[in-house]
This record gives sequence, structure tokens and C-alpha cells, in this order.
Amino acid sequence: MLNFVKRSANVCCALMVVAGGWSGSAWAEDKPVDFAREILPILSDKCFVCHGPDAKKDELRLDSLEAATVDLGGYQALNPKTPSESELIFRIFDKTDPMPPEKAEKKLTDEERALLKKWVMQGGKYSKHWAFVAPKKSEVPKVGDDSISEVDRYVLEKIKAKGAEFAPEAEKTTLARRAALVLTGLPPSLELLDSFMNDSSEKAYEKYVDKLLAQDSYGEHQARYWLDAVRYGDTHGLHLDNKRGIYPYRDWVVSAFNRNLPMDDFITYQLAGDLLPNPTLEQIVATGFVRMNPTTSEGGVIAAEFQAKNNFDRTESIGTVLLGMTLNCARCHTHKYDPILHEEYFGLFAFFNSTAESPLDGNKYEYGPTVKAPQHYDAWEQWYAMQKEEASLLHKAEEHVKQKGDEGLKKRWAEADKEARIAMLLNPREPFAITPLHQGVIKLQNDMKAAEKGYTTTLVAKELPKPRKTFLLKRGEYNLPSGEPIEPDVLGVMNPLPEGAPRNRLGFAKWVTSRENPVVSRVWVNRVWQRVFGEGLVRTPEDFGLQGQQPTHPELLDWLAVEFQESGWDLKHLLRVMVTSRTFKQSSAWRKDLKDPENKLFARGPAHRLAAETLRDIALVSSDMLDPTMGGEGVKPYQPSGMWAAMSHPASNTKKYVRDKGERLYRKSLYVYYKRTSPHPMMTIFDAPSRESSCVRRSRTSTPSQSLGLLNETQRVELARKCAERLIKEAKTDEARLDLLFRLVASRKANEVEAKVCMQLLAGMKQRYETSQEDAMGLLTTGEAKRDENLDAGEVAAWTQVVITVLASDAAILLY
Amino acid sequence: MKVNMTMNHQRCTGHESALGMSRRRFLNSVGMGLGGIALADMMNPMSAAEAAMKGVMKNFHLAPKAKRIIFLFQAGGPSQIDTFDYKPTLNKLHGTQLPDEVRKGQRLTGMSGNQASLPLVGSPFKFEQHGKSGTWLSDRLPHTAKVVDDIAVVRSMYTEAINHGPGVTYIQTGSQFPGRPSMGAWLNYGLGSENENLPGFIVMVTKNKGGQPLVSRLWGSGFLPSKHQGVRFRSGKDPILYLTNPDGVDKTTRKRMLDTLNELHAMKLEKESDPQIETRIAQYELAFRMQMSVPEATDLSKEPDHIYELYGNGAKNPGSFPANCLMARRLAERGVRFIQLYHQGWDQHGGLPGGLSNQCKETDQASAALITDLKQRGMLDETLVVWGGEFGRTNYCQGKLSKNFGRDHHPRCFSIWMAGGGIKGGVTYGETDPYGYNIASDGVHVHDLQATILHTLGIDHERLTYKYQGRRFRLTDVHGHAVKDILA
Repeated sequence: MLNFVKRSANVCCALMVVAGGWSGSAWAEDKPVDFAREILPILSDKCFVCHGPDAKKDELRLDSLEAATVDLGGYQALNPKTPSESELIFRIFDKTDPMPPEKAEKKLTDEERALLKKWVMQGGKYSKHWAFVAPKKSEVPKVGDDSISEVDRYVLEKIKAKGAEFAPEAEKTTLARRAALVLTGLPPSLELLDSFMNDSSEKAYEKYVDKLLAQDSYGEHQARYWLDAVRYGDTHGLHLDNKRGIYPYRDWVVSAFNRNLPMDDFITYQLAGDLLPNPTLEQIVATGFVRMNPTTSEGGVIAAEFQAKNNFDRTESIGTVLLGMTLNCARCHTHKYDPILHEEYFGLFAFFNSTAESPLDGNKYEYGPTVKAPQHYDAWEQWYAMQKEEASLLHKAEEHVKQKGDEGLKKRWAEADKEARIAMLLNPREPFAITPLHQGVIKLQNDMKAAEKGYTTTLVAKELPKPRKTFLLKRGEYNLPSGEPIEPDVLGVMNPLPEGAPRNRLGFAKWVTSRENPVVSRVWVNRVWQRVFGEGLVRTPEDFGLQGQQPTHPELLDWLAVEFQESGWDLKHLLRVMVTSRTFKQSSAWRKDLKDPENKLFARGPAHRLAAETLRDIALVSSDMLDPTMGGEGVKPYQPSGMWAAMSHPASNTKKYVRDKGERLYRKSLYVYYKRTSPHPMMTIFDAPSRESSCVRRSRTSTPSQSLGLLNETQRVELARKCAERLIKEAKTDEARLDLLFRLVASRKANEVEAKVCMQLLAGMKQRYETSQEDAMGLLTTGEAKRDENLDAGEVAAWTQVVITVLASDAAILLY
Repeated sequence: MKVNMTMNHQRCTGHESALGMSRRRFLNSVGMGLGGIALADMMNPMSAAEAAMKGVMKNFHLAPKAKRIIFLFQAGGPSQIDTFDYKPTLNKLHGTQLPDEVRKGQRLTGMSGNQASLPLVGSPFKFEQHGKSGTWLSDRLPHTAKVVDDIAVVRSMYTEAINHGPGVTYIQTGSQFPGRPSMGAWLNYGLGSENENLPGFIVMVTKNKGGQPLVSRLWGSGFLPSKHQGVRFRSGKDPILYLTNPDGVDKTTRKRMLDTLNELHAMKLEKESDPQIETRIAQYELAFRMQMSVPEATDLSKEPDHIYELYGNGAKNPGSFPANCLMARRLAERGVRFIQLYHQGWDQHGGLPGGLSNQCKETDQASAALITDLKQRGMLDETLVVWGGEFGRTNYCQGKLSKNFGRDHHPRCFSIWMAGGGIKGGVTYGETDPYGYNIASDGVHVHDLQATILHTLGIDHERLTYKYQGRRFRLTDVHGHAVKDILA
């Protein structure tokens, strides 16, 4: 590609003629150009590929004021004293040797040229890319209605600018369904729906939202997004793709959301729980996050290579999940667009390069280090209860010590750590022996021991006693280390490592959760917004860098980010703010008065196809077949035969899919076994990721495979016939049955058209199956669940077809 | 009725926007119901005009020679020294040490890296020249020998990967790491499908092979919208997952359900004007058509005996490599853009003479038959056929030298062949050194192979890109040059 070259004085004069009659002062009077929002995206998109942070020495650079004003031998890219002399301006207007050059993939538009010129003439001021400056709350816009929330005022301001207003509120039933799906991944139960519909009080909706937030399914649903992001899987992911024991981590995540653990703690435990003082079991289990990268033990692989590869994966995933930054480029060279140096990549890499696990997994389930942890959700609940009990006993003991006035005891107590205090309570010679505390602790200890017998292993992070040295790897090649060892360090363009923070994972966690960090809370609230409203405020949730999209509502994003931090990283609070907004309550029908197909104004409610898990879970609850057990080893529902065997290594312990029986067939989809090289087809067909790499936004496609799956898959047929039985048993007339079906999946009764076409279908199907008992029985023996023999087979078969159809219709599979 | 399978324009978000179909067109299609679909419609791919540019590419970058690809992937790393790359020097030096100046510090896998000695091992098989072109082949490939004048053998392939997982992923996605779209997904994204009734990217794996594992990411869509992922055809009654109706549901019953769905959706569309509803209708209709078109396409029973004889008797055994080759031809006839076969079992760390002979027996005749069959139907000119694995094998033996020797993985050189659309026949390209260890001339990197494949389809590999995580990704990463010398 051509370089900028020094131009002659003659050409310079020619420029003055061409550009004719500019003067610095005239430009200064215009509205100042916003560098971060208007100029930087152009430079990044069209210029940085050659003139960015990784340009060679002595080459013209445009990525910072210092670089752009370097004297390149009589000329500067940007000449602050005489802006019109700037090489940048000259070359972008140069017809004979333009920039970007003729053959460049991307050229400047006339508007962009004009904007660049204006910016240079106004003095060519630089500022930081918006995402690298810590968010601040701005003044909330006045929109003439102070009763609406801050969120709404930011949104409405932009809608009003287009001469429009909020869309009308969605119907109450629609809103009930929408809020329940967004918060819990399920439509509301009929009881909950009715209680909301019958509640005419002013705060009915807020009460309803609180009930949803208190359901266990809330944590399960929120966990699903996180498990996508951290690429949680039940297998190692590479080569043999053998089983990996790490599901206690998944159950901990669900529990953390349900307990509303502050998200800064949530992050810290996962990055560095093991490095906290006296870490609890939960904090250690949380470090499974660090171990989530796919691993291999393929014959012949070189350990050093995978030490590097595993850690590339870890570093880059953290870039995506927490920083919203694409670090991948900087693995091999200084980032072309974002101000991330090659060395800085390895500074981040160094934080995670000293974990103790072997780089090769040995194809082992217990790929150490591991700990024993609660084996399912209830066991976690019990663990928390026992922790609480222990704290309470210690607290009472403390009171006892204070009251007793025994100085010796006081001293011993004061000097004892937690474990020693427990030992004192257990000691029959200590004064506690005569109090109920002694018996209480004995019982608690016995309970703990009994519980621990059921515990199972889970992969965790542990630090090597002596840190592993990190070197810059040339071109990202593990066997090309260069220079001096690199210390763990954070990105220079963001906040510094907090004072006193250690240079290890814990220090990194402190940096990430610091109020000064410019990206983490923004990235977090953006993803939450995305799951509530269907699209993020930044529509590239994985990339807040220069190549990412600009936020549609920058001030709102910042307001939410700060609000989230100020609330103590309270996720339930954040969700409450969003789902109780007027913005959320809008009807999702497309508007004729606004041309906004991508809903960038958020001037209508969210509407999109529901996720794979939700589609299956809706069928499970409508048929009343859901097994509510939470957590534990992944379950294996129906799956077409041979899917695992077809591709697995003969030595793999996941080559054979052994389908579960009984209740385990009907667990929530969150618990479906995740074999990373071959996830369940009903998940992947509906865009669930393979969990081999981080996914912070699923695609939402519409394919014929989905149609086939919705209508033909064994479990869907099975659940449809169980739902049909339920309808027949719970309602007397066909009309009432159809209404019940619609209430289960759409939270409302069938409307006139729906009733008409469904009744026609029912009539046709009744005719068909009443005359062909054999076909009816064929349909009704799909799946393992026993059919209710008291019911007429023809009728159940006919209703089964109606249920399958409605469950495959937009009323059931969309959020709207 | 024609419903465009790929009418959706992609946003870089990976979410679909369904704005491509006109409302009038949609309502027409609903009005017609599904009754108007005749089987004849299904056999006929779209007319040329309709087929033009169904993907994101508005125009071909280059004049396309091939319309489609059949990739016969030989997983495990076939030994080039015992098939295509004749090295008499190795027979002369059999049993002597691999000289350090040849190895040049090349890293070895963990399997032979600890070996005290690396004895060279000559091929036990006889090599001869064949055809007008005089292409060298070992006697393990008697059928390929008959079509050498139609194929271009590339002996100078190389890669950086030394293990299977990364190696296969590299060839199929351009990166050794999981997460990138596969070649078929890129083509589906760029060019779309030629046949509205079949998936544009179909994968078939030889059954009961085992060996080094395959992973669905190899035909995955990576960060591209997942509709571009390959659809694996299985042998048996459901070539596509969930294709068959449940027991007790026949075609008429299904049609009634779909008509009901149509009416429900039409009502919702009327109310909400959301174009994604239109897309879904189209997908239900396509699914219904596939329930007829797929069984028709995959039904080999009407193939005449001489065709079975051509492909070899295994062709009657569903899921075998010959049967999959025959199926590939049928899918090619129906306009499927990318047909990817996998045949595992080429990982001869030991027992190479017997193991490799078996592999050749399983694949040689059918691979050659595919060329012959396409040619006799006048389809070879427009169908690119590629045969090859993820890397080569070492010129020294793994473990102690014995009759039943094996060879370790070797990334520095390996052989593949290409034939058909856009490729010169009767060509041997590239040379390795007399030891068969390093490339002597005209090296072809994995990215070069990919660039060449795209070139034959009319795609400049540098221009088919997708923006994700702030970067324009492409199949060939930031490398690759089409190998002009083998292009017709």
C-alpha cells in the first residue's frame, strides 16, 4: 500500500488553490466536531489499517495527537499551527495520489472528507475513544413528563426527535408473558398470571416482577447467558472430548443469581476466589471459570504449545466477556485499531499463566486441581444454610465470651481463627461445653460430614507456588518467546491497577471491578439490556473497541453502567429498572409512523424467536411434565441415534450417548448435557453455541431444520400428547381446552381467528384419528411417557396435533 | 411457487433481518397454500437467472469456472510417500538416519519427539507413471491411475499444524482454533444455494470408521449466522435430522397442520407487520418440500447396475465411502453448492503397509468413479473435486523400524489432488526434496489451497469477508494466493 510521501512546495501551493480560501477562524465558528464519536470511527475504519497503532516506525500515524504531529521531515500528518498544511488534508483530497489509495478496500465518502477537514481546521483535537473513558451519569433529558423513569427519558428524547412518541403499551397479558420470559425463561404459571391479572392495584406490575425475580427459574435463566459467555461445557472439548467434572460450577452460578450475589463479587470469585483470604468453598468452586477453556490430550501434542493455547483462549475470552474487547489481534502483533500493544496482551496473559493445572487434560474427568463440592442445587442450598448456621453459632459464642468475663477465654478467643474457634466450641473442656452451642456445633459438624459424603469433584483454579514466567511470543508462536519476562499488567488505555492490588488474578479482579474501569460495567449492562430488549445499546456486545458499533444511546448506557455500580452491582435492581420501564412495556407491533426496522430507537417492544432452551422448557411446563429438580450431572433426553458415535474417537468416553430414563428426560434444558463437539441437536438447530468459544450473542436464524424439529422431534411430540391429555382432563369443552392451551403458551385465550382455524384442524384430525386407531396409537406411543388409557386415543391424537401446531406457531415460539 | 431460501440479508450482528421478501409476494404464497407444490418443482434447481447471487455477494469477483465443490476429505493424514510423492531415495537410504540438515530443527510431535533414532523408511509400494501426463502413483491407487489425466496432483502442500484437531480445523476453517466458519459456510454465505429444496452445504461421513474424531465445528458456521452451517446427511431413514414425520402422521395430515400454521401466522403478520413472521412461513414450506426432495435425492435404488459397478460394490452399502460418493454426484446434479465427505482412518502411526492398503481399497475406486461419472454426465467442468487430508506423514518411521512400520504426522509437505471445474487435468504441481521431507519448489499453503478453491468458484478470497469482533474475517485469514499454475 502506498505511503504518504513528502510533497513539494509546488504541490502545496496547488493545494491552496484547489482548497481555496479557507481560514482557520471561519471553521472555528462551526459546531465543534466530536472527535470520539465522529472522527475516530472514520480514522479507525479507513486509515488505521496502515496508519494505526501498529504502523512501522517512521511511518505516518493517525492514532494519537503525538503520533500525528511527528515531524516527518518537513511535514506533519497534522499541523496544529497551520491546519491547512496538514498532510492528512492534502492527501485525502489529492486526485492523483489519494488516500486511502485507489486500490484500498474502503474509501472515504465526500461527507467523511468534509468532516475530517472540518476537524483538522478546528485544530485537530484528539480525545479518547468513548469506551476508554469511565462512564458518568449525565443530566437526564427533560421530555415533559417527569413521571417516567430515567431510562424512559433517555429513550423518549430520541423518539421525540423523530417526531414520534412511545408505542402504546402492550396488553396486560402480553406484558405478563414478556416479563416472565425475559426474567425466568418461561411464561408465567396460570396461578401467577391470574393473580397479576386480578390485581388492580397501582403497583400490581411491580409486585408481579418481584415475584418473578424470586423464582428459582430466574437464576436458571440468567445463568444460561453467563454459561454461553464463559463457554461452559460438560466435556473437555478437544480430541477425545471426554467427560469433564465441573457441573458444581454451573449450579453455583444458578445459585449466585438466585441469591443475587453482587456482580462484582460474582466476577471476583470467578477470577480469583482461591486467592481471597480464607476462601470459602463457594469462592473456590467459582474459579471453575478460569478452567473453562477447551483442552486436549491428543497423542503427540506438545505441552508447551497448549500451555500457550489454553491461555490465549482464556485471555481472549476474558477480553470478550468482561472487557468487550477483541484482544485476539494483539496475540500476534500490536492491535491494528485499538490501542493495545503486543506487549500488553502478554501482560494480561501473565495474570493467568501461573495456574497449576497441567496444560494437557489427560482425558481425565478429574483434571486437577479439583475440589469436592455440592453435587446439585439442593446440596448447595444446604451448604449455604450450614454456613449461615455456623456463622450464627460463632456469633452467639462471641456474645457468650463477652458476657462471661473470663479474661483467659477472651484472650484465647481473640487469638483464634475461625477453625480454632470451632475447635474450642467442640472441646468438652472449654466453658462452651455446658452451653447449647457445644451441641449445636457437634450437630453442624456431623451434618457437614454427612453432606460432604455426597459431594462431587469440580475443576478449580490454583496458583503455582512459583509463578510461571511469561514472555512475549513473536507472532503468537509458543516457541518464539522474546525479550525479558513480562509482569502481569493491565491495559494502559484503561484505568491503572488499583493501588495495592497484587499482580495476580485477584489484582486483576480488583481492576476489573474498580469504579474507574471504563468498560466492564458498560459491557455488563449492555448485555443485560440485550437480553431484555432483544438488541444491545451497543450492537456489538463483544466489541466496544474502535471497530465496534457506537452505542445508539450513549448517555443511557453510561447512566445504566453507573447506576449498576452505585446499586452495588445489583443485577435484580438493574433488571427491575429495565422491565418496569415504559420502554419495555411498549407494544411490539411494527410502527407505520417510524422507519426503524432494526428498532434502534427502541420505539417498540422486543420481538424475536425464543432461545432453544426456552422453546423446550415451554413444552415441558405446558404438558406439566417438567421435573423441577435443579442441578447435578447433565441430563440426556431423546436424541437421534448415532450422533455421538458417528464422529467420536473410539477411545472417547463420550462416544456413546446413553439416553436417560424417567424424570431425567424432563429436566429443564439448562441441564441438558453439553458435549462440546456435538451438543444436543435441538439446541444447536436453534442457535445454541457449541460452547467451544465464548458467545455473548446468539444468532437468531430461521431454517427448515427448525421447522422439522418443532414438528417431528420425539420429545416435542411426546410433550404435545401429554399436554393434550392435560387439556382434555382439565377442561370440559373443546373451546375451553383451546383457551387453556393458549393460556399456557401465550398467557391469553385464543382469539377468534385462532379459535376458528384450530377448531377446524381439530375437527379434521378427530375425523382422521377416530377412523384410524392404529395411526392414533402410533402417535400416542412416541416417547417414553405412558399414555392415559382412560382417555379416548382418537381424541388425544387429534388434540396432540393441535398442540404440536400451536406450540410451533409464533404465539408460542416468539417473544412479543 | 418459489420461495427464496436465502432471501435474508445479513446484518453483521448475526441476527436475521427478514426484510427481503415483499409483502405481496408473501401473501400470494400463503394464499396458494402448499397444495401447489409438485414433485417436479423439487427436482429442478432454480433457473440460471434466479440462481444468480443468492448470497451476500452482489457479483462474482472473478469469472466462475466451478459451480460447486465435492471435497473428499481423507481424515488422519494420508501418507504422501506411499501414494503420490515417489521418493526412490528413501528406498536407497532405507534404515539410515534422517540427516539433521534435512530436518532443520523441525519440531516433532510428542509421539516421535523422544525417539533416539529417526530411521528413514522407503515406501514398500511400487510406483509407476500413468496416463498421457505420466503422473506418478503408487500401486495402491489403480483406479485413480485411470483418471490421472483429469486431475492435478499437488505434492507441495504444507501446514503448520502437527495434530489432527488443529490440522483438520485449519483446512476446513482457515484457523487452527475453533470458532471460525467452515469453508462450506463461507460459500453458503457468499453464494447462497442453487437449489431451493435442499440445503446448500451437505456433509457425509463414512460410517463405522472411527479413528481420529471429527467435530461438528468442521462444518459449523462459526460467527456467521448458523443457517450457513453444513447439514450432515446420515445414512438411514432420516438423512436430515427430524425429516420423517412421527408415527401416525402422513403427508396429508402434515399439510393440514401447516395450512393451520399459515393461517395463524398470516393473522399475526396482519396485526404486527413483523417480517420475521414471513421468513418463518417460508421455512415451514421449505421443510415440507425437503421432506419430499431429500428422500428423492438420497434414494440410490434407481441407479443402474453399471453405476454401482463403476463406484464399486460398497456403493450398495449405505453410509460407505462409495455410497457417499454416489450420493455426492446425485446432490451435485441437484445443485448443492458444497458437498463434503469425510473418510477417517488415515492415521497410520503403525501397521502402515496393511492400514494404508485398506484405506486405499475403500476410497480409490469410488474417488476415481466420481470423476468418471461426473465427466460422462458433462458435469466435471463445473464441479470442483478435491481429495486430501490435513497433513502428511514422516519419511522416517515411528518407533523401531520393522515390516509393520508406521509414520508420524508431518506438516512440512503432503499431497492432495484436485479435478474438474477450473482445474487443469494431467498436472503434477510442486516438488519435495529427494527425502520427501521439505518442499523443494512451489509450496502450497493451506490458505493457498483455500484461495484456489474460492478462485474456481469466482470468489476473490480477500474480498469475501465478514465483520465480527471489530475485524473483517475471511477464510484465508490474512494470507493465501490462488495457485494460478493449476487453474485451467
